[in-house]
Amino acid sequence: MRLQTAFKAGRNILVVLAVVIAGGWHAFIPAAKEPPYEFVTTWGEKGGAPGQFNDPTGIAVAGEEVFVADSRNGRIQVFDLEGRFRRQIGTPGRGPGELGRPMNLTVHEGDLYVAEYFNDRIQVFGLDGTPKRIIGKPGSGPGEFNAPGGVAVTPNGDLLVADFYNHRIQRLGADGGFVRQWGTTGHIGMWAEEFNYPTDVALGPDGTLYVADGYNDRIQAFGPGGAFLRKWGGPFAINIFGPFNGWFATVTNLTVDRKGQVFAADFYNHRIQKFAADGTFLSGFGARGSGPGQFNHAIAVAVAADGTVFAADFGNNRIEKWRQAK
Amino acid sequence: MKSRLKAMALILSLIMTTAALAAQQAYKLRVDGLACPFCAYGIEKKLGAVKGVERIEVDIGAGTVTVTMAEGATLDEAAAGKAVKEAGFSLRSFERVQAAPPSAPGGQAK
Repeated sequence: MRLQTAFKAGRNILVVLAVVIAGGWHAFIPAAKEPPYEFVTTWGEKGGAPGQFNDPTGIAVAGEEVFVADSRNGRIQVFDLEGRFRRQIGTPGRGPGELGRPMNLTVHEGDLYVAEYFNDRIQVFGLDGTPKRIIGKPGSGPGEFNAPGGVAVTPNGDLLVADFYNHRIQRLGADGGFVRQWGTTGHIGMWAEEFNYPTDVALGPDGTLYVADGYNDRIQAFGPGGAFLRKWGGPFAINIFGPFNGWFATVTNLTVDRKGQVFAADFYNHRIQKFAADGTFLSGFGARGSGPGQFNHAIAVAVAADGTVFAADFGNNRIEKWRQAK
Repeated sequence: MKSRLKAMALILSLIMTTAALAAQQAYKLRVDGLACPFCAYGIEKKLGAVKGVERIEVDIGAGTVTVTMAEGATLDEAAAGKAVKEAGFSLRSFERVQAAPPSAPGGQAK
């Protein structure tokens, strides 16, 4: 009798466990909701000549041109959409027009915004390479940076900056004047509105601010007024990393396309993931390797007006071009 | 004759000592979790701010950072540990190694 009861209890526990696991899988590992992306082409190799890279760390598309932060070479390289070299912007250094480890890039109204990790500033160039202005200086006070990773620009010209080592996002006026910040300076946290080495920011067409909360392995979203909206990335988005759909292993870059869909570079998972504005997983592409359609750490992504995706393949020192299958 | 030999030996040893002191010192630091450039650059940046550091080379695969000092300068383990800690990492080991010429272009941090 006792044995029978124990058997029944064990069976019930197993059933409950199976249901929980199945429910958890369904809840935490979503299926793709869109057609997959197909690899188109690639360009680049390690080196310092035009068309070669030494740590590509950022990418942006403007019109018919692709801008790549060629970080260790201290320059931005500009290509057409087929990967043909056009020109370069900047040389290594600390002065105006020079670059100290450029990271994520943003193009806004004909200007190129460069987050300079070593120089603790945002530098603005014309798309032809003309240096225009410098915002910020080293430090942890308002309007100061400690290794900025990425920048976004609001319609009125304000800057939103991922201030990596200060663990915060700053909003500054176009002149660099402090407006507000998200996160507590120097404080690492995994709850909502806290950050753990934020690497990049992006703005949606509706004004939503998306933050690549790098080492928290998640994305956080804030409304146009600054209020926290949502977060996603792994179970409960509390710094649980993994290789599944919708999970991350260090988010290093974010891009929002014209439809408001969010693309994320999932660095240690060697892939790009795509989400709806509400965080719903849509699609993902890439795998570890050095062959066509593979990444040795996908670090940044940009989307052209027609939806073509360009991704920086950090370890392979190249750029990859992808298109969605019809 | 004997005193002349002694003097020559003294001069020679002085020259060798001076050369050794003037030679560049290099150190190999072992640090875990260096694969992401945000981390690797952070280490380079913090170590690059230490006085006397001339060149930094990060080997992401091996998880090591080689720091070459300017001639006559040395790196204190405590200063290296502080810089690594400020970059968000822990210093696993610290050893003096022979200074080598710079390798790949862009391998410096300063």
